[in-house]
This record gives sequence, structure tokens and C-alpha cells, in this order.
Amino acid sequence: MMTAFVVVAPLVAALLTMLFRPLDMRRIARIILAAAAATMPLTLVGRVDWLSLLFAGIVSAISFLATVFSTGMYSVDWGRGRAMWTRKSVYFVLLGTFWSAMLLVVLATNFGLLWFGIAATTLATAFLVGFSGDASALEAAWKYLVLCSVGIGLALLGIVLLGRVSLELGLDPAHALAWSAIAQHHLARAVPPAALATAIMLIGFATKAGLVPMHAWLPDAHSKAPAPISALLSGVLVSCSLYAIMRTSTVAEALGAGEVFRQLLLGFGVASIIVAGALMLVQRDLKRLLAYSTVEHAGIVALALGFGGKLGLIAALIHVVGHAFAKSAAFFAAGLVQSASGSTALSELNGLWNRGVSGRFLLGALAALGGLPPFALFVSELLVVGAGIAAHQWIALGLGAFGLILAFAALARAAIAIESGPLVRELPAPFAELPSGLSVGAAAAALACAAAIALVPWTGALP
Amino acid sequence: MTIEVLVLLAGAGLIIDTSTARVVVAYVIIVAVVALVAAPATLNAPLPLAFFLAAFLLKLVAAPIAIWEFVRRNAAARTLRPAVDLPLRLIVVLVLGGAAQLVPRVPGLGMIPHAGMAAYIVLCGLAVLVTHRNLLAQVIGLLVLSSGVTLAGVVCAPQLPEAVELGAAFDVLVVTFIGLALVRALITENPLLDTESLRRLRG
Repeated sequence: MMTAFVVVAPLVAALLTMLFRPLDMRRIARIILAAAAATMPLTLVGRVDWLSLLFAGIVSAISFLATVFSTGMYSVDWGRGRAMWTRKSVYFVLLGTFWSAMLLVVLATNFGLLWFGIAATTLATAFLVGFSGDASALEAAWKYLVLCSVGIGLALLGIVLLGRVSLELGLDPAHALAWSAIAQHHLARAVPPAALATAIMLIGFATKAGLVPMHAWLPDAHSKAPAPISALLSGVLVSCSLYAIMRTSTVAEALGAGEVFRQLLLGFGVASIIVAGALMLVQRDLKRLLAYSTVEHAGIVALALGFGGKLGLIAALIHVVGHAFAKSAAFFAAGLVQSASGSTALSELNGLWNRGVSGRFLLGALAALGGLPPFALFVSELLVVGAGIAAHQWIALGLGAFGLILAFAALARAAIAIESGPLVRELPAPFAELPSGLSVGAAAAALACAAAIALVPWTGALP
Repeated sequence: MTIEVLVLLAGAGLIIDTSTARVVVAYVIIVAVVALVAAPATLNAPLPLAFFLAAFLLKLVAAPIAIWEFVRRNAAARTLRPAVDLPLRLIVVLVLGGAAQLVPRVPGLGMIPHAGMAAYIVLCGLAVLVTHRNLLAQVIGLLVLSSGVTLAGVVCAPQLPEAVELGAAFDVLVVTFIGLALVRALITENPLLDTESLRRLRG
């Protein structure tokens, strides 16, 4: 029951906010209620397992930052502040729905509920991706809807087959989709449809995670959505999909299908890193570059899980958390830059270092995404290499390293181009006036977290 | 004529035909057959039955009416513009039919009734998405895909918890309402409902 409260809290908070009529009061209420919803997962300590708790923490922290960022970012021209159902209210209700759906994904105890949560994220985010109403945003939303619906349809097909396997193993129908019940089996050889079921589930969840070759929707949706939604899509929704893959991996190992599953993960991981790295080199738009970077980092997590072992899992977890915060910071900074300059075209963003704090946040976020110290992705990428060496997966490791070099080169080139040199495009206003301190604070907090996560391996908190 | 043959022909019609009206008829046939096969398994408990009825009312009544309304308002949508030529579409149908025949021979799937038919419907849904440019065809493809998944759920594991039935109903909601809402929004920019324009987002 407590878990249900935690899941619905963000949506309830968004709906309650609408009861506050004066605009200023509503903004304060929104942040206070979102903060309350974000702390709710702490009540689940000891009630859910550590993996669910970790991901619930990521979801809540970044969703809260996105709410704060949105409150600051969109305070100027969203019209009738006294009306209950404004365009802004709809935005925040959709954001609350998205947040609740992601909490359902990571706090579910069986694949049925987990799948329902992932489907619900599609419902909310399809509207959020197309929120601007631009033709290109609507088209991106359409592409997102079609490809992700295919993905979640395939995931459901895999779950159904998994249910068949569970029933054949003698599990009670009420627990046939619960991973804790299935994981109690330790089969040396796979039950016939188990490898097929987990492989189909992997393809389905990998579609939502944006792994190549099911990634076609991601660059469009992540680059056309409003900046805070891009941060949530790239930082959190992809993490939730990777969480689903981790849970599927546990089940695949228990049912004797782990080897097939790891090979598939290695294939998806290597393909994602190389293809995304290559495509990042030819991008001309900042948000699109960041979106392809998400494909690359999802590939690194898949690679770490494919290497397997305790080191692979720890590397994957640190990478997921570090990437969630670093990518959120990058999209927040991109949103600040976009609101100031009116563009995210790389050719129009020169000289940002001298234009204020947003350009510096952006540089920090790009350094974090490039895997430079002191950020968490530096540590996690070293651990991924260690996991690859331990697993003797030399080919996958070599190909992955090649893709990483491509991606780093693309990020470095973009960072040098946009931070240095004279301004090509005249900015409409000094950065200092745009937008409110709330948005800047949210970006700073995300970037600080991306660095702080690097300390986790030295705290002794890892299992 | 057995239901397998009926579904085989309807699936072929979905992929080969270019008339929106006839493709909708083929879609309705497939969904009706899935409803007939799946209905007995949902009669044991009220909740799965409720979700089942809601899902198939949406699929059999709401979706065809909505598609019909779009076609009535947009003459350009009366013809589905295939992305591939007829010979290739015929080959796709033959390959899918062959694949469906092989499914019962996959270890662990042989004992599942209608496993080949469920796989064929899922593959037809995917094939419609790939072989047609028209956005309405993509909505139909997604609905066919979800019908195949629903059938697979019922025949593979009829005792599964309600989450899967809930998922089927939710899938239909997502596809029907968001899909048609976005198609409607796109009509103003793209009266031919042609997905060719989406390619400019690539790269």
C-alpha cells in the first residue's frame, strides 16, 4: 500500500497544484509538493529491494529537478495564471503522470506491472514530445509512438511467453511474472521457450532504451521535446528501460538462458556505441548531439551487462546513475542556451564560455558525458573496461573502445566550437537575465550529482 | 474454411491491398477471429472479462469508426500508399505464412494451440508497418500487432494474472487515442498522411 502511495504521489501533487489560483502561489506550491513527492521513496527503505530503491531515487531526484527547471523556465509567457486548466497546468500534469509511471516501472515486483508502467510512460511522453505543437515536434511524437508501441508490444509478447515458462515450472499463476519467484530457479539448461521469451523481452525493452538498431525514434523525440522533458527522457526513461533489461537479465540467468542474453546485449551494446559515435560526428544540432550521446551511453550499459559478473553489474549501475545526472545537466544547460539564443544549431552557438553561467554548465556537462574526471562516467567506463577484461571479451571491448573514441571526438569538437571564438549569432539578451535562478540551480544540482556519484565506489555502499 | 485460413487470407489482404476500406475489413476480420478464440479464456473472472470487452469494443467498433471518419474527411486517405511494390509484398506474405507454419515446431511452442496463428498476426502487424507509408496503415498495423499479442497471451498462458489483460486494453487505448489524435494533428500539415515527410527528421 505504501508503494502505491509513493507511485501516485507525483501525479497527485501535480493535480493539487492546480487548486492554487494566484500564479506565484501556484509556483511555490508546485515546488513544495514536488519536493514532498520526491522524498516519498525514502519511506520504502527496507520495504523494497536496493535496486528498486536506487532507481526510484534517480527517478525522483531528476523528475524533481525537471519540475524545478520547468517552473523557472516557463514562468514568463504561459498565459492565464488564474485559470485551473492552463496549458502550463496540462504540462505539469503530464510531467506528474510521467514521473508516476516511471516510479511504477522501478517499484513493480513483477513484469506485468513493470510493462504497464512502461506503456504508461509512452502515454504521457507522446503528448510531452509534441507539446510545442510544431509540425516537427508532432512528427517526432508520431515516430516515437509508433516505434515504442511496437517495442512495448514485443516486450508484452516476451512477458506472455515467460509466463508460460513459469507456469510450466510449477509457479503459482499469481507469481508467474514475479522475478523474485522465477529467480529462485537455477536451471543449468534453458527451458525451451525461456531463451526466446527473454530475447523478445530484451528487444522490446531495448527499443524503449534506444539501443541500435531500434533507436530511430530517440534522436527525434529527445531533440524535439522541451528541454526538461528531454532531460527526463534521456536521463530517466532510458534508465528505467535499462532497469527492465537488468530485471530480465536476472530471470534469463535463472532460467538457463543467460549466455544467449549476454551475447545479445553485447551485440546491441557494441552496435549502439559505434553507430551513435559515428552519427555524433555529423550532427549539427546540440540537442540532437546529446540525444545520440544517450544511444551511446545506453550501449555502454548494455555492454557492461553483457560482460556480466559483479564488476559488470556495478559498472552498469554507476554508469546509469552518472549518465542520468550528467545528461539531465546537459539538457538543462541546452535549454538555458536555447532560451537565450533562440537556437540549438551548433553553428550559431559560438563563444558561450564568455556569455555566462549556462555556457559553463554546458561545458561541464559535455566533459561529464565525455567520461572525463572528476565525473562518475570516468569511473564507470574504467569499470566497464575492467569487466570486459575479466570476461575476456576482447573483440567487444575493442569495438566499444573505438566507438567511445568517436563519441569523445564528437563531444570535444562540439564543445570547442560552441564555447570558444566570437559570437556568430547575436543573443537577444544577456544570460544573466534569462531565465530564473530556479532553472540554473536545477542544472547546477544535476551537474554536481554527476560528479558526486564518482565517489560511490569509495564509500563501501556497493553490494 | 477454418479460422486459420480466414486469418491467413485477411493478413494477406492487409499487406497486399491498397484500398483503405478493404484493409479495414481485413483488420476487422482478424480482430473478430481473435475475439472469438480469446473470449472463452476470459469468462472465468470479472476483471479480465471487463478489460477484454473494453479492448475489443475499442478495436472492433471505435477504431474502425474513427478510421472511417478520417477517410470520409480526407479523400487522399482512401488509398494506402505502399512503400514497396506488389511482387515484394506478395513475397512478404509468403514468407510470413511460411514462418507461421514453422512456429509450432519451435521447442516449447508445439503444444500451444493457435501459436502459429498468433505469430502470423503479430508478424502481419509488423509487416503492415513496414510496407505502408500511410499513417492510417500504421495505426492499423499497431492494432493488428496488439491483437496478435493479446491472442498470444490467451493461448500461451490463460492463467496469467490480470496484468496482461490490463496491458492489452491499455495498448489499445494508447494506439487508438494518441495515434488518431496525432494523425488528426498531422493532417493539417500533411494532407496525404504520408510518412515520407518523416524522413526529413532522420540523420
